[in-house]
Amino acid sequence: MEALFSNLGLGFTVALSLQNLFYCFMGVVLGTLIGVLPGIGPVATIAMLLPVTFTLNPTSALIMLAGIYYGAQYGGSTTSILINLPGESSSVVTCLDGYQMARQGRAGPALGIAAIGSFFAGCVSTVIIALFAPPLAEVALKFGPAEYFSLMVLGLIAATVLAHGSLIKAIAMVILGLLLGLVGTDVNSGVARFSFGVSELSDGIGFVSVAMGVFGFAEIINNLEQKEQREVFTKKVTGLLPTWQDIRDSAPSILRGTALGSFLGILPGGGALLASFAAYTLEKKVSKNSANFGKGAIQGVAAPESANNAGAQTSFIPLLTLGIPSNPVMALMIGAMMIQGIAPGPQVMTERPQLFWGMIASMWIGNLMLVILNLPLIGMWIKLLTVPYRMLYPAILLFCGVGVYSLSNSPFDVMQTAAFGVVGYIWVKLECEPAPLILGFILGPLMEENLRRAMLLSRGDATVFFQRPISLTMLLIAAFLLLIVVAPVVRKKREEAFVEA
Amino acid sequence: MKITNGKDFWAGVMFIAFGLAFMLISQNYAMGNAVRMGPAYFPTVLGGMLAVLGAAIFFRAFVSKVAHPLAVFPFRLWFVVGGLILGVIAFYTQPLRDAGAMVQIAHELLAGLAIGLLFAAFGPRSLWVILFSVVLFGYLLKPLGLVLATGALIFGSAWGGHEFKVKEVTILFVALAIFAVYAFVKGLGLPMNIWPAFLE
Repeated sequence: MEALFSNLGLGFTVALSLQNLFYCFMGVVLGTLIGVLPGIGPVATIAMLLPVTFTLNPTSALIMLAGIYYGAQYGGSTTSILINLPGESSSVVTCLDGYQMARQGRAGPALGIAAIGSFFAGCVSTVIIALFAPPLAEVALKFGPAEYFSLMVLGLIAATVLAHGSLIKAIAMVILGLLLGLVGTDVNSGVARFSFGVSELSDGIGFVSVAMGVFGFAEIINNLEQKEQREVFTKKVTGLLPTWQDIRDSAPSILRGTALGSFLGILPGGGALLASFAAYTLEKKVSKNSANFGKGAIQGVAAPESANNAGAQTSFIPLLTLGIPSNPVMALMIGAMMIQGIAPGPQVMTERPQLFWGMIASMWIGNLMLVILNLPLIGMWIKLLTVPYRMLYPAILLFCGVGVYSLSNSPFDVMQTAAFGVVGYIWVKLECEPAPLILGFILGPLMEENLRRAMLLSRGDATVFFQRPISLTMLLIAAFLLLIVVAPVVRKKREEAFVEA
Repeated sequence: MKITNGKDFWAGVMFIAFGLAFMLISQNYAMGNAVRMGPAYFPTVLGGMLAVLGAAIFFRAFVSKVAHPLAVFPFRLWFVVGGLILGVIAFYTQPLRDAGAMVQIAHELLAGLAIGLLFAAFGPRSLWVILFSVVLFGYLLKPLGLVLATGALIFGSAWGGHEFKVKEVTILFVALAIFAVYAFVKGLGLPMNIWPAFLE
């Protein structure tokens, strides 16, 4: 316990330095901004900003990027409530009841309870990270290559199980991602694989290009295919503070949402999106007047908004302790760490305590900033919603273009990103979720490396993965996960959970 | 046999193609053995798995209860054929290092046209117009500078959308160009020239 306080103390001294406060603020402002704006998500934004973080010190860079992710969860709710269009995919369910509340003239309390719920969840999950990350990292330090390989298998399987849509397509996308991750020079033999003699490809396909093409460009094109129609409730936002009755009604929902969201965030494949869907479904199940859901029930706003914020933050646990990303945003965070020359993994906490604890402390500070940004300044964000998309997307493209170009100051990366824009568009049309692909892409080289090492140590005996207890446990969990998804009962439930919203 | 689910059909075709391609190309590298895996080992195994999964998805397209038409998105076959032909020509006519500047530029244009045709084969008009303006931005940035490249990007991509109002887009361009110059070049110090290289 004492160690925890001294660690958090260290974290706060780092996070409260003027420079880090500034980058934390930048992160949450940007996060709120892109959260409010429909059609651009945290993945594209973080990908866009990665080149900029070259120039920052690692702690400030990660503090800012983390702020974008949880800040987006706050901003997303505003758009959902006011224009019935999710600003962020994790706010999809908030549309259901939030928009109805706005139509009944209760937009203020809906926004208020979303912010209060998010803040509560943010505080709790910050403590959860501080409590659970150190013991988990301790365990992870004992991992050998076999354990790491099995852990990655488990992570990737879990990511496909928890992703929505067809399971078999998700697994295929993971494998395709692993393969694309292998493009470039093989570390062991020095052979440039799958590069077709293109010198730029011998360093591998740029991670930023894949993420930005698939999540940025492809998304813009898909948005343009749909006609935009918006009805903004801007004038009616008065009285942001919910009544006592509202708070009494939603307090249990916030608690449940936070608990569920924190748990789902830790799981590989989890994070904000899954958390909000699950919390809404749970809330509807346990509520006495579930008939009110979809008609402006405040619980239907409080629970998913708390859950997505909790999930966004706890998804940092596997990243910080195991070095394994649980969703595309975390994959980008790994990219950011590697750019800075930090190998993600359990050693980060012991070797760079300022970075680790500074980031955790900054999350709490960031949440505090977000409440101030989102409640008194709500009017400013609402104004932004009146900017039409046809003005926004050229600006987004410009920032993306500058971002990719400055990766290596060459037009090749821009071309590569555009190519992934085309492929991303095709994937969306074929209902192949790109999120598992991104995870596979970042884990491809790591997985091959650990497989090679494990097999070398065991002298070619593949049963090593079943002989070591931790490795075996993880593979069994992975197999179990696959089995239960294939089982018809769960399959139906899983479809329901995503369809219901 | 009738294809009921067009999306599964094409997804299956795509995964099989990728899986086989990775397996085939891997044959150029050393396989090694289970103890010392060569560079071909892991991709060959993964490629095989991908092809098998692709086959499963492919066959599901015939028995699926979900119905989707075969034409999932706009697709122009002739563009692909043309792009591939030009691409092959460009690949085999790569100019020597000491070739003249005009030859180099002509060859780059040919390669660019091939890739552009491949891009334009898929999706709605906005897809290729927008992506083309982004690529253009990338290639114009060094010779023409940030301001003019931004102009190409903004006007091009705005033209790819539904409505194009010259006045509105001009204001957007001016605002974004000023912002880009101050934020990226002056603020963040990214190494880019603001005006065309021959003017500075």
